[in-house]
Amino acid sequence: MVGTPVQLIAIPLLAAFLMPLLGKAWKELVRITPGVVLVYLLYLSVNLLSYTIDNGRIVEMIAGWSPPWGINLVFSPFSGFLATLMLFMGLIVWIYSYRFKKIEDYDDYEPTIKYYLLLMMLITASVGIVLTGDIFNLFVFIEILGITAYGLTAFYRGRDGAEAAFKYLFIGSFSSVLLLLAIMIIYSQLGTLNMADIAQKAGELKPVYKISALVLFLVALGIEAEMFPLNGWAPDAYSQAPAPVGAAFAGVVVKAGLYTIIRLIYTLFDVGGTYEYLIVMGMVTMVIAEFAAISQNRLKRMLAYSSIGQMGLVLVAFGIGKEEGVFAALFLMFNHAIIKGLLFLSGSYLVYHSKDKYLSELNGIGKIMPLTSFLFALAAFAIVGFPPFAGFWSKLAVLTAAADSGMLLIVGLILSVSVIEVVYYLRVVNRIYFVKRETDVEIQKPTPQAMLSMLVLGAIIIAVGFYPDVITGILHKASAALLDKTTYINEVLSQTIN
Amino acid sequence: MNLGNNLDILTITFYGSAILLILIGLYAALVKRSLIKIVIGLSIIDSGVHLLLVSIGYLQGGTAPIFSPAVIDKNPVMVDPVPQALVLTAIVIGFAVTAVALALVIRLYRHHKTVNIDEIKNLKW
Repeated sequence: MVGTPVQLIAIPLLAAFLMPLLGKAWKELVRITPGVVLVYLLYLSVNLLSYTIDNGRIVEMIAGWSPPWGINLVFSPFSGFLATLMLFMGLIVWIYSYRFKKIEDYDDYEPTIKYYLLLMMLITASVGIVLTGDIFNLFVFIEILGITAYGLTAFYRGRDGAEAAFKYLFIGSFSSVLLLLAIMIIYSQLGTLNMADIAQKAGELKPVYKISALVLFLVALGIEAEMFPLNGWAPDAYSQAPAPVGAAFAGVVVKAGLYTIIRLIYTLFDVGGTYEYLIVMGMVTMVIAEFAAISQNRLKRMLAYSSIGQMGLVLVAFGIGKEEGVFAALFLMFNHAIIKGLLFLSGSYLVYHSKDKYLSELNGIGKIMPLTSFLFALAAFAIVGFPPFAGFWSKLAVLTAAADSGMLLIVGLILSVSVIEVVYYLRVVNRIYFVKRETDVEIQKPTPQAMLSMLVLGAIIIAVGFYPDVITGILHKASAALLDKTTYINEVLSQTIN
Repeated sequence: MNLGNNLDILTITFYGSAILLILIGLYAALVKRSLIKIVIGLSIIDSGVHLLLVSIGYLQGGTAPIFSPAVIDKNPVMVDPVPQALVLTAIVIGFAVTAVALALVIRLYRHHKTVNIDEIKNLKW
């Protein structure tokens, strides 16, 4: 092994706080350091992931306190896969942001430092959420994630970012209060904060405490995971934040929220009816979000609602449960990260100088910006699930999982919602290629770095579309790891000080 | 220590005032129209939850949970240190969130020249 999981959290945290100092030494360091750090972390994470796939989980104790007393990190195929995905998306966002005009177009160097500081903190917190095995530590990471997300949402002074960020902060504060109350209920009843220990003792919990803790957790985390009706912050935050941050939200922040919900339901609490609740909430989220998306006339809001809709689909897949459902959900999460990432990254160059980002300003842009438009169209086709792109396989996996569980109503609903999705994405593609251009909004050529990051994502979408086997092997291992609760508990609690 | 059916007056005071604080905070956060008052409300809710959390670890007549030979010999009742550690962390987080919130309020005020949320609605759809 090359390193230990704790480095995945410690190194970006250190890098984040070194930013102001590095800026004083040599300004270019501020831009380069995050990339170097992310490349190293991705390398480490991939190595650890391939190790865990062969040898099982890595459980790391922090400061020599053995579980359940100390905080421990668990790098399983499931959490490791998500951590790797987050680090990869972080790297893509870094490449895209490198010398991104809107972030750097100031006289002083302050915005660049702040941007990379917040970005590194965002990645630290998300990876921390996925790896930690302690619910209070989870709370701390969720709060760090929240604070950095508010900061990034309000990054541009000129826009209404502060308004979006305040909305997000308001709802996020309630989320943190509910989370603290839920943790308090669990601690007062079981006297432990370790996830494996809680999972083991969950049977001793009286139903009233169990259900109230679970409800508090679900409401609190539903905010981060964009679950209906707690997703009011999402369209505003996505549309006001800088373009690369939109991709980071879709690829990193939302994934962290979803992970927590899933970890709680699958590992900590086994309450009857939770899976049905996930299915119902997922369906409601999906239907409402897709109807909201079709009525949007601004690009980024449309993408944000579509993102919420996709998260609803992931919840449905997790609600179906079993190995098949979990596999489909993970596949959807992976596809959503790369495809929605590409949509945000390419879309924001299509409407770069436009003030309101209206869809009508995309008319005929396919002739002016051929490559960017092509990548946008590719991602649009992929996300609605046309073969042979990556999105097709994940949608197929969800439908098969639902059909195998005999939930034909869900199959029907997913298909009819997909029709809505096809309509509004094709409408945009139609505008790009077949409608005559009327506006005289200036065009901005993407920087070479931005182009590179978009091409990488596009290549992955096509590669996974033709050879889904490259990813499905890992996904099967990851879903098996999530469902295997007993070994999780045993492996964590058997750790002692060496 | 007689918890259970006959709750003693001190416990009721702790839990009662915590819940009261949460309700006051909720009122301020949800009813008031000034951004500053909303931030204060959120901060009060936080304080209420922190008090609730500390109350859980409290034992009547308990001493500080510091192990030293002189204390151990008397076999004392000690309060649970974990909720206190949690609350310390939560206070720091609450402080950071309040600071960010106030910074956003300043930004909003400069942009809109008001702190009344009814007049700040560029993003309503």
